[in-house]
Amino acid sequence: MRFAAVALLALCLAPGAAAAQMYPDIHPIPRTTDPAKLRETAVGREIQERFRIGFDAEGRGDWAAARAEFDRIVELHPSEPAGSSAYYDRGLAQFNLNDSAGAAASFAAAIRLDPDFLAARTNLVTVDLQRGDVGGARKAAEELIARAPQSARARYVSGLAALKAGDAPAAARDFGALLERSPGYAVAHYDLALAEVDLGRLDDAERDLRAALRLAPKYALARFALGTVLARTGKRDEARAAFDEAALASHDPALVNLATSMRDALSH
Amino acid sequence: MVTLFAVVVLTVAGAGLARASVDELAGLRLTPSAIPSLLGPIDGHGRAGWECAPEQAARATEAAHAELPSPDR
Repeated sequence: MRFAAVALLALCLAPGAAAAQMYPDIHPIPRTTDPAKLRETAVGREIQERFRIGFDAEGRGDWAAARAEFDRIVELHPSEPAGSSAYYDRGLAQFNLNDSAGAAASFAAAIRLDPDFLAARTNLVTVDLQRGDVGGARKAAEELIARAPQSARARYVSGLAALKAGDAPAAARDFGALLERSPGYAVAHYDLALAEVDLGRLDDAERDLRAALRLAPKYALARFALGTVLARTGKRDEARAAFDEAALASHDPALVNLATSMRDALSH
Repeated sequence: MVTLFAVVVLTVAGAGLARASVDELAGLRLTPSAIPSLLGPIDGHGRAGWECAPEQAARATEAAHAELPSPDR
């Protein structure tokens, strides 16, 4: 009898035995019988699980499955930051399902919930640019720049929207600001040069295109643009050489054909 | 890629390539660089402290960290 009692006590105190009785804490046992709190706990678990499933679906490119999960999360009205994140992820799924208008609406909803959500703001500008809503893109970009004037991505998408709207001064400001912090970014030199061409500042455009090409010698699009600027400033031989080099550097058949045609046209 | 140059091609074709002159080149509108890809997904916990990759890319002050297009054309 005494032996049995000691054995029972030892079993109770053994750490291994105690650990075997424990449950993972990812689903804590509700310590309430209040219906409202039980429902809140259940909804919280559903949101957490649907986020995990939806995020995994996005990772493997199953956008329809992802959208279904985020649609449901949005219906559950989660608190922040889950609410704006759900709208953001739903926007990504919608965009990849070719529903650009829906995607823009979802990113806008994410921003309403959290105005500091810059990833949602930049994605909204990008979606508006993709669907050709230049006015919408410019408005969203203006609000983005107001909150994050130092953001490289904000300056880039804002500059693109300005270029597409034909607002060369605004585009030059955006790409100029981007280059202040990233002077080694060849693409910004190219876009700044396009704005400078529109402003009639051909010498500045040539300088920026040459800067882009120093940074990225195989940048065929910049090489082609340089050819057009050189031709417009009367440097036909240099322009011809630039078009020739653009044709050699490009892997895009359309650009190769165009550059070759320009080169040949300048030979006459 | 072909559509990217549609404006340029149409403008030059309309002017007549064989007679390309400085005036005709002046009417040629160059295409801006590519629209960037959307920033990626965010999980239910990823935005805690704004440590998630998409938000960091959106806030990056240098182009190299902002997931912007590269000069690949």
